[in-house]
Amino acid sequence: MRDPMNPDYRPMRLDEIDDSLQKEIREKCGVDVEMCMECGKCSGGCSNGHVFDYTPRKVVQLVKLNAEDTLINMDALWICLSCHLCSDRCPSGIDTPRILDYMREKAYRKGVTTRPKIRLFHELMLSSVQKSGRISELPLIFKYNWMSGQYMKDAILGLKLLLKGKLSFHSPGVKAKEDIRRMFSGSSAKRTWGEP
Amino acid sequence: MNIAYFPGCSVHAMASEYDRSTRLVCNSLEVHLEEVTDWNCCGASAAHSVDHVLALELNGRNLAAARRMGFDKITTPCAGCFNRLKTAGFELKSSGLVKGDIPDVMHLLQFLTEQIGLDKIAASVTRSARSLKLAAYYGCLITRPRKIAGFDDPEQPGSMDRILRAIGAETVKWSHKTECCGGAFAASETSIVIDLAGQVLEAARQAGAQAIVVACPMCQANLDTRQKSIEKDRGIIYGLPIIYFTQLIALAFGHPVREAGLRRLLVSPLPLLKKSGLA
Repeated sequence: MRDPMNPDYRPMRLDEIDDSLQKEIREKCGVDVEMCMECGKCSGGCSNGHVFDYTPRKVVQLVKLNAEDTLINMDALWICLSCHLCSDRCPSGIDTPRILDYMREKAYRKGVTTRPKIRLFHELMLSSVQKSGRISELPLIFKYNWMSGQYMKDAILGLKLLLKGKLSFHSPGVKAKEDIRRMFSGSSAKRTWGEP
Repeated sequence: MNIAYFPGCSVHAMASEYDRSTRLVCNSLEVHLEEVTDWNCCGASAAHSVDHVLALELNGRNLAAARRMGFDKITTPCAGCFNRLKTAGFELKSSGLVKGDIPDVMHLLQFLTEQIGLDKIAASVTRSARSLKLAAYYGCLITRPRKIAGFDDPEQPGSMDRILRAIGAETVKWSHKTECCGGAFAASETSIVIDLAGQVLEAARQAGAQAIVVACPMCQANLDTRQKSIEKDRGIIYGLPIIYFTQLIALAFGHPVREAGLRRLLVSPLPLLKKSGLA
């Protein structure tokens, strides 16, 4: 049927859609998006949905539509809080945070992000884990604020926390450094979380 | 009773008052916490965000260390560590990557309610928290996702409420028990925290709570350290102390304010606690 308002419209033919991403997600993440009934409970509850470009329900639809580029370039990928509200309320048990983790990992490997500051924080955090096996909060936050060019961010708050004895400069790391080193140079994928 | 204990990086450093009060409470309840040998960071939330295998390996090492110590249960006071450890255990088991038993991960709240029991907690109270009206805030990761956490009700949990009532306090009915506080974006995307933690503070205020009680160092940090900015953003003065549930139990058990680390909180709970006779 022709739509007079939209002459280019034609009904979508399911057999024309490539389902390779859907299969990939099923294989790699154990998540079957075919179970989605589009009820929207995930997006209704989503903690950060009001600022997402694509809500969880749309994310599931994008997987069905094989829209890998859209998924990799979207903002929601980086500002999802992983609060698991969507997956917890899903009547079909679809683990959307796992899909997002998987797509974010792909985006990361391609060097794509809409939120360079969030990516920088992830990198600095992992480089701290790589170095000592644990996180030292104060050096991490100092380094992050410095490298993201926010030299005075939280300076007063930092001072208050320091006075409360909340920020320690030194925290002992893991003794078995070789264990940590092995994890970061995993054979399956070479990981480098050194200095970004 | 002995149990493996995983403090985690936050509880070890910035939230050391949570660690201290946890140890005080467990000591009074005759629970011996055995710190997991040479534990490493759980990776939350950077590792699972960009490297799934790394997230599994980091937590697999911690679970293996607890198993080598001969424990079949491990408890952690941090909701982030709890979620990562438990998820890794779940995945390693269901994928068949690890043979044999994997220690069961319990959040401290679950351990105290299920393994120790409210009766024992109530019996150890020497100073009742009577007259305190509190909002029990669980945050997102203690009860979610339900198939992995396997504890309490993910929408309207009640375990912390019951503990607080067992030490004499009153708890309010409110809407934001398991809403997210903004989690790991405290430093990297502060505006998200101002927005979400602001909603939590507002809900607690509307429910008439005098303080918010938490069981996660991230929730505490976001609600407490960002409260001034939230007040500025919303034009409302909240002045709500954000107290760890273990700190309140420690006070009710008769431990002094200094030992429970209450002076380390930014919004001071001392005026409120003095008025109610707990400090």
